[in-house]
Amino acid sequence: MKRSKTAALLLMSTAPLLLSACDRSEGAAREGVYTSVEACVAQTNDRSTCQQAFDKAQKDAAATGPRFANREACEASYGKEQCAERSDGASHSFFGPLMTGFFLSQMLRNGSPMSGFNSSPAFRDSNGGWQQPAPGGAGVYRSGASSAMVPINATADHAVTTSRSGFGTSGSSRGFGS
Amino acid sequence: MRRIALAERPDWRSKAAECGFGFHTIDDAPYWDESAYYAFSLREIEHDIEAPSEELHAMALDLLDGIVVDEQQLRQLAIPEPYWDWIAQSWRERQPHLYGRMDFAYDGSGPAKLYELNYDTPTSLYEAAFFQWQWLEDQLGRGQLPAGSDQFNSIYESLVEAFGTIARRLPRPFHFAAVRDSAEDQGTIAYLRDCALQAGIDCGMLAIEDIGVSADGRFTDLDDRVIGSLFKLYPLEDMFRETFGAYLPRSGLLLIEPPWKALLSNKGILPLLWDAHRGHPNLLAAEFDDGGELPRGWVRKPLHSREGANIAMHLDDGRELHTAGPYRDGPCIRQACHPLTGFDGHYPLIGSWIVGDRACGIGIREDNSLITRDSARFVPHAIVEEARGVLIA
Repeated sequence: MKRSKTAALLLMSTAPLLLSACDRSEGAAREGVYTSVEACVAQTNDRSTCQQAFDKAQKDAAATGPRFANREACEASYGKEQCAERSDGASHSFFGPLMTGFFLSQMLRNGSPMSGFNSSPAFRDSNGGWQQPAPGGAGVYRSGASSAMVPINATADHAVTTSRSGFGTSGSSRGFGS
Repeated sequence: MRRIALAERPDWRSKAAECGFGFHTIDDAPYWDESAYYAFSLREIEHDIEAPSEELHAMALDLLDGIVVDEQQLRQLAIPEPYWDWIAQSWRERQPHLYGRMDFAYDGSGPAKLYELNYDTPTSLYEAAFFQWQWLEDQLGRGQLPAGSDQFNSIYESLVEAFGTIARRLPRPFHFAAVRDSAEDQGTIAYLRDCALQAGIDCGMLAIEDIGVSADGRFTDLDDRVIGSLFKLYPLEDMFRETFGAYLPRSGLLLIEPPWKALLSNKGILPLLWDAHRGHPNLLAAEFDDGGELPRGWVRKPLHSREGANIAMHLDDGRELHTAGPYRDGPCIRQACHPLTGFDGHYPLIGSWIVGDRACGIGIREDNSLITRDSARFVPHAIVEEARGVLIA
């Protein structure tokens, strides 16, 4: 089959359950970085999901975390006493940072979490910033595979706006798509 | 490939209203048109459109390593110098891209010919991914299409998958922006946001005019939050020359489509592709325009023309066609003239969607002229098995 099995709308649809997976409620996601299962439960009241997310993150930590050839290089990025020797199971050993937390993301429906979640290990670098592994190249993307780390910033910065309307001035009656 | 008349679904307008399709009629003229559809064989889709789309996409990306360090090519593409390093950096980091649309001339005979890459601000996405899909399901259910008919359209699944893949690389908050007063552009970003939400990404929408800038040159939303990632349905080349453009390279903002798309969504990529792959069956001869007289058999297109504006076409038989538009003074390219084939007086242009790096569907725009303009109607398509067996007289 060359077409999608389903084609759901979440917010655009006004009809109740027009198609499978349709939902009229405001969609949003809840995400956070937690240093322990207890911290996660305190925030989410969902012990089962927190525990599963933690277990999955711990399982992925060695496989998807950053790898260094020696302890010194690892500690330069992640700090003293923050690295451990690991093995990939094929008798190759390397050094990687200890998992210092885990990242959890869940979709909300009517303010309640839907089933299913995303989680990944989180590491704190020597500057105190949180990081998680970037996704590898797979599926719809062909290139860009790497075990690069990306910053987690679940909370937004604020800044005083000094000016607006600096984009959108080129003017068109019909929009800008093509 | 055939054009087949078919009765409209009696309730398609109410379905459109239920599904947020507010721009099926634009300025009192029909835009969505299901009074006919185009029927393809599976071989036409897979062999003539899907495979060449993926090949051309890879060929275009392969040029980027060279272009970002080639001053002459950056000038040919009319990229303003202050943005060169920023664009090159975005490519070296492989900042995530989401989607693009290739436009092909194709009539079922001979190879599809690439007209251009709409790799920065493509629209007609919702119509192709959702409403066209629903048309097929409905018409199959009503018995109006041959049983087993299919459609080249996994655009929706690919979009949700793409958002899920790049989610972790998007600093938050993540917003979608388009000009306030365009129903079509607003509908397109509403659909993209819908797909992002389904991939589990929390994200908002705002008008491109409402974006603010802070004293230290970061971009803000209406709550004064610093925008982490911005999907903008707004041309990169317009952003470059507007007031806030100068802030872009040092703002820390992650843009989708990323800055490196300015090199591809630019008709200057067509002569560069031709130079690198001269004679490729899916490419038309192309060169940068020197401003001289346009010979027979050539078409002149501005580097940044959208929706068929400011095109000059000099046909083999001597006829000349021109369209008006706002792109009068910029640099142009020339492309060998390969006119669209008429089907009952309609001229279909195949839009082949690339999501991530996957060719995943088509949408057809049909105009009454050889130049496809913003008045072109969207006509659905189906993959229909050809009748088997041959009658022997």
